Amino acid sequence: MEQKNKEVTITVDGQQVKVPEGTTILNVARQLGIDIPTLCYHAEVSPFGACRLCSVEVTKHGRTKIVTSCNYPAEEGLVVVTNSDKVSKVRRGVLSLLMARCPKSVKLKNLGKLYGIDEHGLWESNPDEDCILCGLCVRVCKELVRVSAINFARRGVEREVTAPYHRFSDDCIGCGACALVCPTGSKKIRIHTYATVAPLKGVRDENFGVHIDVFSAKPENGTDNLINALLTSGFKNNLFDTAIFTKRGDGYSGEVKVAQNTGEIANEKETPLLRIKMISTLQEAIDQGKRKIAFIGLPCQVRAARKIQQTLQQEMPDLDITTIGLFCRNSFNPKKLREQIKSILNIDIDKAERTQICDNKFIVTVDSQDFSCDIDRLDSAIENGCSYCNDFVANFADVAIGTIGSGHSYYTVIVRTDKGAALLEKLQLTKTPVMKADIVKLSEFKKNRAKANIDPILREIHAQRSKEKKVN
Amino acid sequence: MVNAQLDKIIDKYVGKEGVLIQLLLDIQRELNWIPKEAVTRINERLGIPVSDIYRVASFYTALSLKPRGKYLVRVCAGTACYVRGGQRVLDAAEQAIGIKTGETSSDLKFSLETVNCLGCCALGPVVEINGKYFGTATPKQMKQIIERKRSA
Ligand code: SF4
Ligand code: FES
Repeated sequence: MEQKNKEVTITVDGQQVKVPEGTTILNVARQLGIDIPTLCYHAEVSPFGACRLCSVEVTKHGRTKIVTSCNYPAEEGLVVVTNSDKVSKVRRGVLSLLMARCPKSVKLKNLGKLYGIDEHGLWESNPDEDCILCGLCVRVCKELVRVSAINFARRGVEREVTAPYHRFSDDCIGCGACALVCPTGSKKIRIHTYATVAPLKGVRDENFGVHIDVFSAKPENGTDNLINALLTSGFKNNLFDTAIFTKRGDGYSGEVKVAQNTGEIANEKETPLLRIKMISTLQEAIDQGKRKIAFIGLPCQVRAARKIQQTLQQEMPDLDITTIGLFCRNSFNPKKLREQIKSILNIDIDKAERTQICDNKFIVTVDSQDFSCDIDRLDSAIENGCSYCNDFVANFADVAIGTIGSGHSYYTVIVRTDKGAALLEKLQLTKTPVMKADIVKLSEFKKNRAKANIDPILREIHAQRSKEKKVN
Repeated sequence: MVNAQLDKIIDKYVGKEGVLIQLLLDIQRELNWIPKEAVTRINERLGIPVSDIYRVASFYTALSLKPRGKYLVRVCAGTACYVRGGQRVLDAAEQAIGIKTGETSSDLKFSLETVNCLGCCALGPVVEINGKYFGTATPKQMKQIIERKRSA
């Protein structure tokens, strides 16, 4: 469609420049050091033209019109004016409307001051509205994080950004990118997502999170699976009456299970390295009146469960979710993993008895035989979103459990809260010290991977902020 | 049961792009609404994010995220119909069915909605029921129509 290499000449505020055809006017202006205010624009995602603040005047074939510079492509002979009276008038109009919609937004107020808008002259609207529907969060979640947890819904005056059904999101991984980019700092999208969760009480260690104890352990009572032992003991001691967890389904798939007693947790195959939607199951259990729930999940899912507990606290003071978090480097997309394993190891992962990650190797056991490859070779099969997550050790869990850092048949246990301690107390364990360095290594790896992805998002935000500071 | 029914509809769209609206319309036609199972199933089978499906399903008035009654009564609230007494017709419909606008009767017989224009203002006030148009409707006629449909 658009010819990439063709150069065109355009004029912006009297300066003539040659730019590749299709470059947006906003980008041309930025290259020339000309400031155009924006709200819904972010360099890392596609432009959307929602806020209209970046309006400029363009003249083409002798006709002049107002367009949004963030998504208007440069074409031969275009003449652009970014600072005429007409442009200011349009921007003032746009800003007044946005300010009327979101009366509390500090950012809009500051911009308004710049354009000489008297905020008291605006008509009344919902005083708590804080979203200008610019859709930046939607685009970041879809195009960068690629989980599409939030989106627009409904239409007209009812249009809003929300997680589907106004329910706690099944897809949000709590990366926080949406909150970072939001120009008004809206609280709305954060209700049903996990961008913000109040931290656990206590001192936070950089790699182990908040904790009261860390050790390697195995159950003394014969079972070799610590999580099953914990669930069994929790049921017996009435710490919970419902347990929600993920188990292998048919082939290499996962499914969510809800157990009401110890009988229902035995004989389950191990958990696959997949992120299965669990949050709607948790919410349904709560809807059905369950109040004492054990929730075993990945760091992102545990974060969600913690947020749900925090959000519903007022309404349901008796809601008591015990969270057991599993260490997680990343989960895999089942379809992509199936293809990768087929092409690298030439085996059918659907036939696997067991899959695990050990010493940076991905190990698949088929017919009691182990096949393995370097974990890095599976990077293209990483599930969407995981590379934006920086939580290896399930920072929001009551107890976090993994095999990294412990020897054969031992588990690494990080006890974070009193609730976690109470659960473990009931269990007879053989304990040894943890090999901390192994955990630190993976924890840092995961944090760095997330940082590399979040940094470009931040860079643009910082650039805009420093510009604003200069102006105000 | 429902899943088998859904799968049959979804099967037609596997491997195709840009099919969401058509698919949702098919489901709406078949089930008379878009249940959550349908949204989940589309997500599983076609990989379209749930939030995208919800966005589309909540945008178009032709699609309903709540069960719809057998008879969808749509009263025009456009300017022309309004000034010709559309509101009174709507009130009559609410009364006759026993629900408020936007609701569905508990026996799933009627849903009541307003529309902004049905494109035949000269006939206002206009009421449309399952594709059938009633022109220059009066409150009395409205009540009669509802009673007829109820015993049908
Ligand atoms: S926190 Fe991350 S995954 Fe969740 S809605 Fe925001 S951007 Fe999407
Ligand atoms: S920045 Fe261009 S329309 Fe919002």
